[in-house]
Amino acid sequence: MKKSRKRKIGATVLSVPMSSMIDVVFLLLIYFIVTQKDEISEAHLAVNLPAPDQAQQSETKPNLLEIEIQPGQVFVQGAPRSLEMVRKTLTYLSGLDPDQTVIVKISQLAHVDEVVQVLDLCRGVGLNNLSIMALK
Amino acid sequence: MRRRPQEELETPVASLIDVVFLLIIFFVVTATIDRDVVDDTIHLAQARFSPAVDKKDPRTITINVRSNGRVNIALQPLTLNQLQQILTATVAESGNQVPILVRADRNTIYHEIDKVMEVIGKAGLYRVRLAAVATEKKSASP
Repeated sequence: MKKSRKRKIGATVLSVPMSSMIDVVFLLLIYFIVTQKDEISEAHLAVNLPAPDQAQQSETKPNLLEIEIQPGQVFVQGAPRSLEMVRKTLTYLSGLDPDQTVIVKISQLAHVDEVVQVLDLCRGVGLNNLSIMALK
Repeated sequence: MRRRPQEELETPVASLIDVVFLLIIFFVVTATIDRDVVDDTIHLAQARFSPAVDKKDPRTITINVRSNGRVNIALQPLTLNQLQQILTATVAESGNQVPILVRADRNTIYHEIDKVMEVIGKAGLYRVRLAAVATEKKSASP
């Protein structure tokens, strides 16, 4: 009598509804797969802004490097340059004075992509003192 | 008398699993609120030479500027006047050392960014950064 009772208990324990547990685990797995986002690493390009009341004063000291960004074109000290030439010029200048201030004048019609490219080049060669101003 | 032990073993496991499942969903949803603040419609420009930042100042205010010039903070659309009010209030509360991160779409024309920059400058904030996608290895925030 005792022996048969033990067997019955064992049999009942084994009948745990595993299928619902698997359903839950499956749903969780689907949830995590769907909500997973690729982590995008961002670079933050620090810039100095002009004082609000000095926005129109475009007088620059002669020892400052001036880069102008127009849609599709970049000018260094007034001369049009390709991005590769800009990089070479900046590399040379940063070797002379890494603390040199770079004034980046940006056309209102230039795209952010072009602005970021130039700022990125400056950061890449070690010029971190970047000031930006918009051309009115 | 013989049937009793069999009845005791019928624990309602299914409902217990339901409750556990609901709890897990609750914690998962509440834990990911912070990630939803990022404006996914913005495609950042690529920065090839600048290192990616690992840590961000927790006080940083992130201003999103979409390609059409629409501005939002944490997906809350704002006019420039509202942005000005928020930034002025921030300066009054926490000082002008608060960093500003401008996340602008790569196709936005600078005219739209300039308007935001003017508002930032008027509020007296000067620690401004432009966000870009870094293709270099990570480093500490500058």
